[in-house]
Amino acid sequence: MSHDTQVLGSTAGKHKEERAVRQVPFRGGGFVHRPMGPIGAVVFLAIIALWEAGSRTGVISPIALPAPSEALGALWDLVVTGMLWKHVGASLYRLVIGWTLGSLLGIAVGLMIGLFSLARAGLLPLVSALFPIPKIALLPLFIIWFGIGEGSKVATILFGTFFPTVIATYGGVDNVDRNLIRMGQSFGLSWLSIVRKIIVPGAMPAILSGFRISASIAIVLLVAAEMIGAEFGIGAYILMAGALFATDQLIAGVALLSVLGLSISWLIGRAERALLSWRA
Amino acid sequence: MLAISRRTFGAMVMVGSLGFMACEAGAADAINVGIIPSLTSHSPSIIAEAQGYFEDEGLDVEFVSFQAAQPMAVAIASGDVDFGLTAISGGLISLADKGAVKVIGGALMEDPEVEGQKILVSKAAYDEGVTTPADLAGRTFGITTAGSSFHYMAHKIADKEGFERSEISLKPLQKVPAIIASLKSGQIDAWAIVPNLANSLSAGEEVVEIGEVSDYIDSYQVTTVFTSTENAENNPDLVERFLAGLSKGIDDYNAALVDKTMSEEETAGIVEMIHQYIYADQPLDKADPRIRAGAMRISPNAALSLASVEDQLGWFKSEGLVPEGVTMDVLVNTDYVETH
Amino acid sequence: MQLILDRISHRYGGTNVLEDIGFTIGDGEIVCIVGPSGCGKSTLLRIAGGLEKPDAGEVLLSGEPARDSLNPLTYIFQDFALLPWRSVEGNVSLVLEDHGVSAQERRETIADVLARTNLSGFLGALPRQLSGGMKQRVAIARALAVKPAIMLMDEPLSALDSQTRELLMDDLIGLWQRERFSALYVTHNLAEAVRLGRRVIILSRRPGRIREVVEIDMPLEERPDRVTELDRLQRHVWDIMREEAREADREIADVA
Repeated sequence: MSHDTQVLGSTAGKHKEERAVRQVPFRGGGFVHRPMGPIGAVVFLAIIALWEAGSRTGVISPIALPAPSEALGALWDLVVTGMLWKHVGASLYRLVIGWTLGSLLGIAVGLMIGLFSLARAGLLPLVSALFPIPKIALLPLFIIWFGIGEGSKVATILFGTFFPTVIATYGGVDNVDRNLIRMGQSFGLSWLSIVRKIIVPGAMPAILSGFRISASIAIVLLVAAEMIGAEFGIGAYILMAGALFATDQLIAGVALLSVLGLSISWLIGRAERALLSWRA
Repeated sequence: MLAISRRTFGAMVMVGSLGFMACEAGAADAINVGIIPSLTSHSPSIIAEAQGYFEDEGLDVEFVSFQAAQPMAVAIASGDVDFGLTAISGGLISLADKGAVKVIGGALMEDPEVEGQKILVSKAAYDEGVTTPADLAGRTFGITTAGSSFHYMAHKIADKEGFERSEISLKPLQKVPAIIASLKSGQIDAWAIVPNLANSLSAGEEVVEIGEVSDYIDSYQVTTVFTSTENAENNPDLVERFLAGLSKGIDDYNAALVDKTMSEEETAGIVEMIHQYIYADQPLDKADPRIRAGAMRISPNAALSLASVEDQLGWFKSEGLVPEGVTMDVLVNTDYVETH
Repeated sequence: MQLILDRISHRYGGTNVLEDIGFTIGDGEIVCIVGPSGCGKSTLLRIAGGLEKPDAGEVLLSGEPARDSLNPLTYIFQDFALLPWRSVEGNVSLVLEDHGVSAQERRETIADVLARTNLSGFLGALPRQLSGGMKQRVAIARALAVKPAIMLMDEPLSALDSQTRELLMDDLIGLWQRERFSALYVTHNLAEAVRLGRRVIILSRRPGRIREVVEIDMPLEERPDRVTELDRLQRHVWDIMREEAREADREIADVA
């Protein structure tokens, strides 16, 4: 072996003398994402700093946008008056109840559509027809159906989260490996066992990505939901700020929504890591 | 350069009168006037346009429709609209505080001799014993948004009847139709609104009238005329011409529908003019009675009740809805109309 | 217990896939089925285990399975069919959970079958952590757990590389010598067929019919040492199949 390499080495050396030897040019690389550390935070802070500077120097008119420091001031006002917890609490209550009920119903209906041909034939066209309806358009009807109390607010979020969950769930069921189901049948597993132990866990990745979408939709709908008769809530706070043209409060409220969105996305990320640890 | 950078931020810019200066040499100045096509109080501008009063002043008026007062105020601040009539709202004061808009005259007003705004309750609340405004303590009251005229009226009732403002539970419902639906279905107990809407509501089974707003607010200046600060301060000629045209429209409106001193024929003509924009979605024979019903007086010559505006501003401050530092000077430009 | 396939015919859409197939798997017998691709081998296996209904003919069982057999007809799949979210232990446990086995008994069974397949140290491992050969061992352990009377094996070694295939083949032979299970073993690999089969059934190309049955009357344990004889057998099988395979290769696939 060592003899062979020697021979190869010597021929390579000979070639070097005879004609110019070049290195093979590197053509790989790129198209791969590298972790970049805290770049996201830096970009965010840079934009805030630029914005603040623009406001201070008057390049950005106070009517166009309040300075970030003013928005921060409005946020601080919320903290010291204790209103922050009232607003966040009221919104969280609506989000949690509406989203939980919408998701549970959505998973139930999604499983039915995924498992039963009759449900699929009967419900799928209905879901496809109702999903694209903007729930805000139904708000006046929701007032009559569910009242101006918590009912219509929870219902708005519930309807908004229900449909994407249905679609994610039955899509997940459809994508469960048929061979696994056949395996379950071949070992004489009961229908319920196959659903519980094979189909539901198999559809779980799709259901969880559905949760990401439905949670974002729930936050988007929060402002619409709190248009009706809400004294407290982040959405109500934003609407009031809009009506009073208090742009600093408006930005503060929007920032709160965005923090809420980040927190929920983080929670779902945790849930994914816990429930889907079996994926590579 | 400045204007471009603001535009880039997707916000509103005060280009306002730049356009007019450029074409001053032309025949007529083109201006945009904001109206809300569901409120008859916007009629004077429409009459003035139809009768040619604006044309006489060398103004070429284009009407821009809005669903609510708030976006109209923002459009005036941005310079997309030049003049508008709306209630004094938190948003309007806030825009004035930012140096964008000014109140320059008065419009709709409570007149003790003319039917004014009514206090309404749902049938359910009435049956439970809410028969006078004094019974509103502990009840729900519909408003569009915080800092709207409805919010103000609710608190003025509480003040005069001697109970805490917080005893009236306010329900922000954003839009007038939502309030009407809620009142009719008994989901809110009370509301206050201009007579033409109030009368058509209390004509039905579900709503009962229990009082008048004029008993609670002295010489209430319900709506005002406003324009951009740019116009008010640098373009007095344009403002004066607009107000002159508007005043003639106001006179026609009051004569036809409030004092009813016009002949039926002329009145019908006025109603037809108004119908071009107000209730235009209904046939004339249906819209006619709705336009005539419960017309409230519009301040002659757009005279402004400073006392009422001051009271309203004071209330906004006391509720913390606008910054403490806003003064009457910031909100009102008194150069143009008679004040009292 | 015997598994009897009686004149099985089957069609997909308008195409005949299987035609008049009949044979019997006796006690402790390994029957291999070979045939060109698309001849309906896998369909036949699904029909044999009751996962699919034939259009004509019947699948019959004669005799009773052992009393402790939980699932007399048990499959081993080419793609292993392990639940990726369950550990090795959980995957074996899955097939016991529906049979009213006590937790204690279940644990014992799992420990026993994992020991028999040399997997004892991998109780908690997830499928994605295992090599292909290990995964198939888990699938075999799972099959053993329900004490099958007849194993239905669908190209169990085809997804593995050739070295792993050799190792697993030895394991299977070892297992058979201890347990003497019966099996219907579908493969396209002729070497596997002559190594394992008591009989090798050669199917024709579509529609699959029995071309020939090759009896190999040689004890399994002797086969590794009688390579030349096996080679001759394998060539014999290939001679029968060659034309079929060539024709099948030129066909346009229009069935699953």
